[in-house]
Amino acid sequence: MSNPETSGCTAVAENVVKHFNTGATTVRAVDDVSFQLPHGRMIALRGPSGCGKSTLLNLLGALDRPDSGRITVGGQDIGAARGSREVAYRRRSVGFVFQMFNLLPHLTALENVALPMELAGGLSGDARRRKAGVLLERVGLAPEKHLRRPSRLSGGEQQRVAIARALANDPTLILADEPTANLDSTTGAAIIALLRGLAEGDRTVVIATHDNAVAQKADLVISMRDGKLLGKWVEEEATTGA
Amino acid sequence: MTVIRWAGRTLVRSPLRTILLVGVLSVSIGLALIMITVNGAFEDRVDEIRAQVGTDITVRPAGTFGGGFAIRLDGGTGGGSVETSSPDQQTQQVLTDEDIEPISDVEHVVGYTRRISAQYSGDALQSAIEPPAGVQVPEGFTGPPVLVAGTEDASSLTAFGEEAEIVEGRTFESDEGEAEVAVIGQSLAEANGLSVGDTVDLEGTSVEVIGVFTTGTQFGDNQLVLPLEVARDIFDRGTEIDEVTVRVDSAENVAAVTETLRETIGEDKADVTSQETAFDAISAPVSDAASSSQVAMYAALIASAVIILFSVGIVVRQRIKEIGILKAVGASGWHVTGQMTLETLFIAVVAAAIGALATFPLAQGVADGLVSDPATATGPQFIGGGGPGIAELPDGPGAIVRQAADTAGGGVLGGVEVAVSPEVFVYALVIAIGLAIIATIIPAWYVGRVKPAEVLRYE
Repeated sequence: MSNPETSGCTAVAENVVKHFNTGATTVRAVDDVSFQLPHGRMIALRGPSGCGKSTLLNLLGALDRPDSGRITVGGQDIGAARGSREVAYRRRSVGFVFQMFNLLPHLTALENVALPMELAGGLSGDARRRKAGVLLERVGLAPEKHLRRPSRLSGGEQQRVAIARALANDPTLILADEPTANLDSTTGAAIIALLRGLAEGDRTVVIATHDNAVAQKADLVISMRDGKLLGKWVEEEATTGA
Repeated sequence: MTVIRWAGRTLVRSPLRTILLVGVLSVSIGLALIMITVNGAFEDRVDEIRAQVGTDITVRPAGTFGGGFAIRLDGGTGGGSVETSSPDQQTQQVLTDEDIEPISDVEHVVGYTRRISAQYSGDALQSAIEPPAGVQVPEGFTGPPVLVAGTEDASSLTAFGEEAEIVEGRTFESDEGEAEVAVIGQSLAEANGLSVGDTVDLEGTSVEVIGVFTTGTQFGDNQLVLPLEVARDIFDRGTEIDEVTVRVDSAENVAAVTETLRETIGEDKADVTSQETAFDAISAPVSDAASSSQVAMYAALIASAVIILFSVGIVVRQRIKEIGILKAVGASGWHVTGQMTLETLFIAVVAAAIGALATFPLAQGVADGLVSDPATATGPQFIGGGGPGIAELPDGPGAIVRQAADTAGGGVLGGVEVAVSPEVFVYALVIAIGLAIIATIIPAWYVGRVKPAEVLRYE
């Protein structure tokens, strides 16, 4: 049953709490957070290091589970998803872009992009390679570099491969955790522009960043501090258009 | 298929890591298998020695420990005191049928055989043993006396601790207990011109020779064996017994039965000697080596398990980020678990095979290394130690020790051969599989529980 208030949203969080035990102390990394992420927008999750951005992204990507509260993506309660439902969500509904790229070093760029397709199944090897090639071209990696391993690619190229990998199974939600933190400003701007271009139709892109310049490129900005959202999150029209 | 393909690719993508892991696991598994095999070989050897020593207990009149019948050429040089059991020198206790009646009631006793020994110095038989050349003998001494044994079990003839072989005729049967028949030693028969069918007059009793035996020894063949009751009549021994051989159902019960017999018959009446003592003396070095190998086996097993866990654990830790990435991009727990299982299983199986192949050639060397000095297992210190010399006590425990030690062949420890018995093979296989499972299951279980958010959080 769809909720009229959230029917235009890709993801909805309600009173989400996540804490970690670090020795004798408990850190509330995400503290009673609620929000709605509309379709087809690029949203910046802004805040200083340790404010809970990455944790919130992990919860949205089903890489972790909330201690309480509810997160729904495409109407699916991903906090309650277990086993094959959880795996299917990671395969089909969400794509992750990490700060450190997290490409498998023994695979070529093409193979890294084809990996989620292979895990999801349904495509032949040739079809996977063709689609991976198309995605790599779409993110701007030169064809002669498709068969290179990550160690022979620059940081920006590796992040492009990571973005292509995130797109492999056509997810509706792209989660990027500090995608420009290890890149120079020019390359970072190009990556943000690339991500911005992905936020269209049903696809939503969420970028966790502590960089205001990056946040300014987003359609919406959610500011966080100490695990909480700062006041009511503010919707801003993208001014730069990337 | 995806899991198999991924596992295969992972194995070949880092050949050095795979080879090193196989090498470490091979050494670990091989070490454990070697010690298992060596330990099995030593335990088998101990069992063999036990089987050779047998399960018999010897009961003799008190004071005759070491031999029921002695021939002293030199007055005796052994450390113990020996008295003969000849009718004219009965200074030790007399053992009779009545004294040994309780034997059959003792638990684990499956039977016993009575025996008497006597010297015959009459004219009917001349000794086959000549005094050694150059040896001064008393005037009138014509050589060692002929030995006459009376036994109720001629089916397994022994003389002076040696198995006798019938070379002509036959031995007497159990239903010939009162028949006036005899089996004669080969050299004694030749010295007296006797053969099967001839008769010998012993103290007025005409005894027919029905068989000729040989033991291969000079003393052993200078003997006449009669049915027990016939010998008793001829030598006027009444119900006396010089030796009872008690057979016990298993080697494990020998010590307990020996103790029971001592209590039942009375130590003032009889010397009860088991072959357990002989077994302990012979097998001590092998038993020590077996104990050492057992300790080493357990140590090797523990060390192998630890090495395997650490080695595989290190590899898994190295790959933890890769596993986290795989899960983050859609790999299921089953996928990574299956992939890790196949990889480690392959490595463990190859390592187990290499370890097993290396085991059997190396195990013999390890076994030899555990053997301190084969010479210590044989030699006169066991044979005559604390008692009369072997020459004087042919039927005593010394003979048993000598027999067992000789059977062991050039030293008991030197006789330990590491062979792949089915039991050891199965045992080793089970251990190898167990170690392979350790190498497989634990890392697989671990990676199945990896949470991508945790391993990628600390990138």
